[in-house]
Amino acid sequence: MAAKKVKVWALVTLMLILVTVTACSNNKGNEGSKASDSPSPSKSASASPAESETKETVPDGPTGKYDPPIEVSTVRSINAGVKFQEGDSLDSNIWTKDFESTLGIKVINKWKVSDQQYQNKMAVTMASGDLPDFMLVDAQQFQILVQADTIADLTDTYAKYASDLTKKSIEEGGGLRLKASTVNGKIMGIPADGGGRDDAHSLYIRTDWLKNVGLEPPKTMDDVINIALAFTKNDPDKNGKNDTYGLSLDMNLFNGWSGLEGFFNGYHAYPFNPTKGTATNLNFVKGSDGKAAWADVQPEVKTALGKLQELFKAGAIYPEFSVIDGVKSGELVTSNKVGMAYGAFWVPTWPINNMKKDVPGSDWGVYPIVSADDKPAMAQSTGGLPSKYYVVSKKAKNPEAAFILLNRVMDKLYGNFDINYHTVTAGDVSYGLHMYPPIGGVFAEKNQEAAYAVQEAVKNNDASKLNEEQKQYYDQVVKYKEGDLSMWASDKLWSTGGVFEVLGQYKKNNRIFQSVYTGNPTPTMVAKGPSLRDEQVRTFTSIIMGGQSIDYFDEWVTKWMDSGGKDILEEVNASGQIQ
Amino acid sequence: MLLPGLILVLLFCYGPMAGILIAFQNYIPVKGITGSEWVGLEHFRYVYSLPETMTVFRNTVVIASMKIVGGLFAPLITALLLNEIGKRLFKRSVQTIIYMPHFLSWVIMAGILLDVLSPTTGIVNAFLDWLGITKVFFLGNADWFPYVLVGTDILKEFGFGTIVYLAAITGINPALYEAAVLDGANRWKQTLHITIPGIVPIIVLLLTLGLGNVLNAGFDQVFNLYSPSVYSTGDILDTYVYRIGLGNGQYGVATAVGLFKSVISLVLISVSYLLAYRLANYRIF
Repeated sequence: MAAKKVKVWALVTLMLILVTVTACSNNKGNEGSKASDSPSPSKSASASPAESETKETVPDGPTGKYDPPIEVSTVRSINAGVKFQEGDSLDSNIWTKDFESTLGIKVINKWKVSDQQYQNKMAVTMASGDLPDFMLVDAQQFQILVQADTIADLTDTYAKYASDLTKKSIEEGGGLRLKASTVNGKIMGIPADGGGRDDAHSLYIRTDWLKNVGLEPPKTMDDVINIALAFTKNDPDKNGKNDTYGLSLDMNLFNGWSGLEGFFNGYHAYPFNPTKGTATNLNFVKGSDGKAAWADVQPEVKTALGKLQELFKAGAIYPEFSVIDGVKSGELVTSNKVGMAYGAFWVPTWPINNMKKDVPGSDWGVYPIVSADDKPAMAQSTGGLPSKYYVVSKKAKNPEAAFILLNRVMDKLYGNFDINYHTVTAGDVSYGLHMYPPIGGVFAEKNQEAAYAVQEAVKNNDASKLNEEQKQYYDQVVKYKEGDLSMWASDKLWSTGGVFEVLGQYKKNNRIFQSVYTGNPTPTMVAKGPSLRDEQVRTFTSIIMGGQSIDYFDEWVTKWMDSGGKDILEEVNASGQIQ
Repeated sequence: MLLPGLILVLLFCYGPMAGILIAFQNYIPVKGITGSEWVGLEHFRYVYSLPETMTVFRNTVVIASMKIVGGLFAPLITALLLNEIGKRLFKRSVQTIIYMPHFLSWVIMAGILLDVLSPTTGIVNAFLDWLGITKVFFLGNADWFPYVLVGTDILKEFGFGTIVYLAAITGINPALYEAAVLDGANRWKQTLHITIPGIVPIIVLLLTLGLGNVLNAGFDQVFNLYSPSVYSTGDILDTYVYRIGLGNGQYGVATAVGLFKSVISLVLISVSYLLAYRLANYRIF
């Protein structure tokens, strides 16, 4: 009997514990959120009587210091490639210390996740309603937050608190980025990227293979196809085996690495709808009637698909491309199986960065994309519109703090460039400190300018005019020229004949294609985009692999129009955001 | 002693169920369930209007059914065969080896399978070629893909099931076998009349549980193995929802499909439970 009683009591206690534990954790959660929503109410309460004695200072312009210091909360993602020196972390590093000492702002990271999970974690945070003071969101989340009316209108704050340098970066290049951040005449976010055109494709070709098959760099698309065929059939690696392919491609079809954008552009076609994308950044061209038309359904796309089908049939494309991703297609290339790829400016840094060093005799050349006819090819770029925005919560006590922080970051990285805040090399490891700040901006043409400056300096053998960042690139290029093959990527980026040389030509000659639609994703794009995208990728893949005849393209176009395409076009044309 | 469990279930399984309301809303995360606009059955109509929905639903049912059947027989047969082996060491080794893949995540398995099943370099196709059979593009061919899913799923999980059945076999009273031997029953007769009837309750239990899961055809596996060219036969409800719903922030749509899935699962598990009760007199409660 006694034993039974003990058991009952134990059970009751256990239940009580359970209930209190869960209740406690709930409370804690609420407290935590409250504290960070409005930076510590207790603190401001205790600060208010003191206010009458020592005056609280708050910056009334782009610079200044909060006294007493304030706390501002945000959330962070960490890229696996970002390294920290001993004792440093995202919570405490040279930047956070600087913010505290010169601005009086303590930045609190409410959570940190890897950049792979950031989007999902952000969605959860948005669902919980427990927003930090400012945060980084993608274009779609930006839309949702604007609709939900939970983020602050920054129009006045921007005018008053953004420094000249910050404004210059945001309004650079015709102000497309600012336009994209403006909803109904109100600035609702700070663009985090965009403005750039460096995602336009160049053509990367193994120059040693070119020599082996006795061909010149391509001048027309027919040359490209001939090279691809020669790379497949004429044993370019001279190993006596038929084990090579001409053109790199993977299941994503559109991508910065082994994508097809450059190939399509050669035929004056501008499709863009990547498998892993959100299916909302579509390309539009202006039709003869002045209305926007979808770039992917134009007849030029069909022509290019036909050529790809021929290439695939001839064995010039890896037969299993439809099941491999970018990493795998990169491995194929670095293991000497593929000799040509279209890609963005960063391709020399990945995946082909170590080939010159690791594969004796190998080398890659960078060439501008070529055209199928006498009309010059336009390289498409989707980097002009921002894909990410910093937004400020409506509940934030100091909405201007985001700008005060941004001004400081921009100043250290672009204004009064300070290498100690950019890259620090200790031993063999270099630490990218410019990745640490919770907010930042870009000058889209920075790399382009750096490349020209480095080329100039190399020519004159005079590095005195370079800023510290450019000087680094210069040193790397010089090292390469002295025989350090591990600096190959730097040489391909910054030197004459490198990627930025090619991109510079595009820019100078107005050979960049950008979508004529500058607005944000329309409702139908959001609703039907993914389903349409899947069908598109499936259709294109199937046509390339010869599973469907090229005429299936027309069937698919009709289908696209009927299952939402017409609505998308109507919305786009009604938006008034056609350039 | 049921209470703590009950509380946890209420807290973590029944509490979140309120979330199904999202299926009837134009849900905006920051506004929450109370603040979002109600749209009634619009999401269900929308999902129904999408051309792929029926294909995806069919894929899910076909793939899951094949998996349930395969996942029932493969471990059962293996367990019966292993049971006949006298050598303890050999039996244990086989058991452990076939059990191993269960611990690999699908991310790793997918990487291995991509190489093993490749038509140009994979060992499976090299073998087919040696036999004089045409090579098959297992992961990129829509006709083959569902079978690849089923095959690889069985490969990964049958070791686990085998252990469950072996445990059940161990629980059979040895006196029955002794009596059978006295009556002159050979090994085959023993298996047929003692071992199999002895583990029927476990078979029925696993089958019942499997039927309830018929619409979970395995998100991890499909997600890691599929590509756009096999969407037509390989896409299942979960991966589809992930792409159209969560990938694009359409929470209402995603929830609507999830709810639809749950309702069907409820019907299926009720039916299978009823069948199990009628046919095998098996009851959980």
